[in-house]
Amino acid sequence: MRASVAAAAVEPSSAARLYGQGRSRKASLLHSCHLKTGLRCGRGAFNPSSPRFPLFLCQRRPDHQNVNGGDTDEMFDELFQKYGKVVYSDSDRKRPTAEADDDAESLSFAVALAKVANEVKAADIRVLFVKPLVYWTRFFIIVTAFSRPQVDAIGSRIRDIAEKQFNKNAAGDTKPNSWTLLDFGDVVVHIFLPQQRAFYNLEEFYGNATPIELPFDTQSPFRK
Amino acid sequence: MIQPQTLLNVADNSGARKLMCIRIIGAGNHRYAHIGDVIVAVIKEAVPNMPLERSEVIRAVIVRTCKELKRENGMIIRYDDNAAVVIDQEGNPKGTRVFGAIARELRQLNFTKIVSLAPEVL
Repeated sequence: MRASVAAAAVEPSSAARLYGQGRSRKASLLHSCHLKTGLRCGRGAFNPSSPRFPLFLCQRRPDHQNVNGGDTDEMFDELFQKYGKVVYSDSDRKRPTAEADDDAESLSFAVALAKVANEVKAADIRVLFVKPLVYWTRFFIIVTAFSRPQVDAIGSRIRDIAEKQFNKNAAGDTKPNSWTLLDFGDVVVHIFLPQQRAFYNLEEFYGNATPIELPFDTQSPFRK
Repeated sequence: MIQPQTLLNVADNSGARKLMCIRIIGAGNHRYAHIGDVIVAVIKEAVPNMPLERSEVIRAVIVRTCKELKRENGMIIRYDDNAAVVIDQEGNPKGTRVFGAIARELRQLNFTKIVSLAPEVL
């Protein structure tokens, strides 16, 4: 079950080998700094917090914003003294505030979709913040519908609103299905029939995700 | 590089253990199936007392291959085994959980359901 990941363009483990070496480390440290952007493909391509890539040890970003501009040995020495680990700057990565803005935008989108689902009488609506658990999306919306026509109604309504108000198109199922999935990138909507919802039990699988409070009553009079 | 007669492991809890590919769907003239392709397979080995039985013909999505998967950024992913996830005609997985690491290419190929059941996405 082991997977091996190799990068042809740059060997990422060269960054790990820098640790505690002599003068040559500065040159290769620079090297890895500049090539890092080439390695990434979108958000979380190389998730530094993932235990699978322990070589990117520095969780904090360096205070120097001009690392790429004035690369001096002293500066790297200073950083190395300070962190004692591999330090890299990432022109690719967004600022933390930009990240928070994106989160807020996705949150408002997710809540709007949940409201739409509530209007079409979907039951047991749950919005989960799954970004800390999986890198590939931010929010899950899990809803129950009681028949295929209702699944269709919820799906097409959500699609319409997303297209008109938020200008987003859904990938995923086009036909109503017992588990219909709409993939908006940062928000993924799951519409289940009650049986399938109990069968797949996604809430349990994502039990560690933070549930988001919704501004309306989500409990269905039919369930339980 | 999956072709008819290839034996695959099953990466879910559907009850099948070993599959044999008998047909690649949508391949036309192509010889091999890769990650994200749907195959028709026969169950060669199954867990007792589960809904799926030996010699049943099912559909499955390939999620891991020994043949390396290349990405545009130069990254290469190669797994230790060939593995597939059993799906039904609608594309819903037959099992409720997927085991092992899977590639994110499956999401682009509209298998987000499998991705959302997987513990790790590369």
